[in-house]
Amino acid sequence: MPSTQPYIYSENGDSTPTPHALLPFLQSQSQNTLTRLYQRPSSCLSIFRLLAPLERQIIMNLLWLESAIAASTMAAWVIREGKKLYEDALATLGRLNIIPQSSTKLALNGTFKSGLRQAMTGGGSSGSFGVPADKDDKRQGIDIEALDGYALERWETILHYMVSSGTGQSPTRPSQGVLFLLQRSGLMALSHSSLLQITSAGFQFLLHSPHDQLWDLLLQYLHLAEERQMDLVEVLGFIFMLSTMELGREYSTENLSGTQKAMLEDLRDYGLIWQRKPSSRRFSPTRLSTTLTSSAPPLPTARGTSSGPQEGFIILETNYRVYAYTDNPLQTAVLNLFVSLKYRFPNLVVGSITRDSVKKALMNGISADQIISYLTAHAHPQMRKNNPLLPVTVQDQIRLWELERNRLKSREGYLYTAFASQADYEFVLNYAKELDVVVWENSVKRCFFGTLEGHSNIKGFIERRTLAAGS
Amino acid sequence: MDYSHLAVVLDLSPGQWEGCSEELGLPSFLSQLLAFLNAHIALRDENTLAVFAALPGKSTMLYSSIDPPEQPSDMDPNAYPPFRQLDRAVVASIAGELDAPSEEPVALVGAMSKALCYMNRLALGQTALAEPRMLVLSVSPDQPADYIPIMNSIFSAQKLKATIDACQIYGPHTVFLQQAAHLTGGSYLHLDRRDALLQYLIMAFLPPPSIRRILAVPTQDKIDFRAACFCHKNIIDVGFVCSVCLSIFCQPVPVCSTCRTKFPIKTLKRLNAARPLPPASSPGPAPLSRPPGSANGLKH
Repeated sequence: MPSTQPYIYSENGDSTPTPHALLPFLQSQSQNTLTRLYQRPSSCLSIFRLLAPLERQIIMNLLWLESAIAASTMAAWVIREGKKLYEDALATLGRLNIIPQSSTKLALNGTFKSGLRQAMTGGGSSGSFGVPADKDDKRQGIDIEALDGYALERWETILHYMVSSGTGQSPTRPSQGVLFLLQRSGLMALSHSSLLQITSAGFQFLLHSPHDQLWDLLLQYLHLAEERQMDLVEVLGFIFMLSTMELGREYSTENLSGTQKAMLEDLRDYGLIWQRKPSSRRFSPTRLSTTLTSSAPPLPTARGTSSGPQEGFIILETNYRVYAYTDNPLQTAVLNLFVSLKYRFPNLVVGSITRDSVKKALMNGISADQIISYLTAHAHPQMRKNNPLLPVTVQDQIRLWELERNRLKSREGYLYTAFASQADYEFVLNYAKELDVVVWENSVKRCFFGTLEGHSNIKGFIERRTLAAGS
Repeated sequence: MDYSHLAVVLDLSPGQWEGCSEELGLPSFLSQLLAFLNAHIALRDENTLAVFAALPGKSTMLYSSIDPPEQPSDMDPNAYPPFRQLDRAVVASIAGELDAPSEEPVALVGAMSKALCYMNRLALGQTALAEPRMLVLSVSPDQPADYIPIMNSIFSAQKLKATIDACQIYGPHTVFLQQAAHLTGGSYLHLDRRDALLQYLIMAFLPPPSIRRILAVPTQDKIDFRAACFCHKNIIDVGFVCSVCLSIFCQPVPVCSTCRTKFPIKTLKRLNAARPLPPASSPGPAPLSRPPGSANGLKH
């Protein structure tokens, strides 16, 4: 997987960027859980960083105030055009229990306030930013390069396993815990031959940026933790602690709680942390975990791609040809999802986007927009000179191919035929039209098609009429 | 893309800080400043920060988050490492610089130029430096000799698309910083309550330009546009502008000192006659046009 710019291009057009994937999860937690979470300064800082810019600014405005401030005073600080954004921001903060909802006064949740203050100024005794391990004289700690290599290897193993499932190849299997998580999250499913097979959600997952993929998996992990009766505050607190740790340092496991020690094994499988051996009493976070709350690339350059520049490797021409400067099997496999590959050279893969290859991708549940955004995010620096970045013809054609699949719409329902007379037919039809359940009608053939929901009403109506006519 | 580079320029003139230690001493100023700097780093992991100090007769860079000083080996489990590193580095370098008392004027422009040069260097390294901006925390009054370098700094800031914010913590309004903020789209603030410095800093200067569009950030209702003359470095209300290079003079001169243009004797006489003050003794030519009202107006 190359380290990619986090989808800057798709964000640019958006005036309101989508909130971070974790926030809805946090909002669904109870006040009690949130308050316990806010007791850790590192969690406060990490959550603060996941918020939108205006929300962060509002928190900052209130952080150093001792007393509550009148809501109207604060509202005056936003110009009229920004009112909606401001109210949305307050509502989000309210749901996160950071600013308790009140119509007249605004103030930060006391626990959050003291937590964030402590994070900003240091101090306290919670040790929430990780207790560093003592120097080990016998063994040197791992260096950053080796950590990056380790994280990359772990992460690519997972993705490569997903992408090559069902193709007959047998890549290295990730650990049992990872497989279980992939299955639980619906990214992979057991096929009839009781082999794990990638699902359409899994295909979509592959085209996301590594950052989004990481959070997707962690969210699934959190859901799983809930079911396993693990303490969410401990789990989240540990993830947030990792995100504030320093790359290339060793931390001690001694201050971790039981839950958190149990998590070490899972996180090791995902490549978030490194340990010399499972029983080791020290661990080092990898770049995957230290960049959790930033948009910096979570993975270093893919290994061995000396020819592939870090920021992008795909050239797409107007004649639908794709040149990918990569020798990474994972990147090739992902491209293979929607490109029909023609030649392979030591540092270059050539293929073309065809109707069939795109159809195959669409059948797998990948959308045209996802293909386009993947190509945009991984475009070669040479391509960045073009405006628009991707040839319009190709973009349009991919969208048209997607539309082709939508020519037929299927609806379940009932066909009403064999009416005795035209008057009968029209009477029932008018009734059905009043209920707004008619999908299609043909007065020459005296039949019409009604939706499933309308059937019982129409049936009853016809029965009442025949009864009335019979009596 | 809401991260930004912030360059903070501190005016550490010992004379000025001594005079006003009652309301807000240097130690309490520093602790509030550090909280503000930490807040900037806290907003986004990608936010970058550079701190410059203007000292008597010299300027120096105190800290840069892009090129941080050597990390101390001991770690505090209760502090976020980048904050700790920033606080230590800034405090240590200020302590190292402050010990030499000097009578020279504080090199505020030098520090501003260094900050701009540093921004430029960063911008060269990457495709686009996201929203670079500068915050000048000043305590000294204007030094008229700084007029031309400040103007040049403003022009380079405009070229870098950087905004300059200015905060005058003590003393009278500074004309030059007002102009710097106005011309680069920043805001200028003259503190009324110095004990609330941190709140001022956070509300007015923490939001990056992209957020400020929807905030009612303090703007100046009136800006002092006066310029300093090139000949005596006085701030003037009415001046004379060279019609060739637009240099400003407080009195009509026969030859422009900047571009060496000679002016006809007739015009010089006429201008001298029209001066509101008793005319200076220097008789001579000049097509020095006298702009109505302000020295910034141009007329040929």
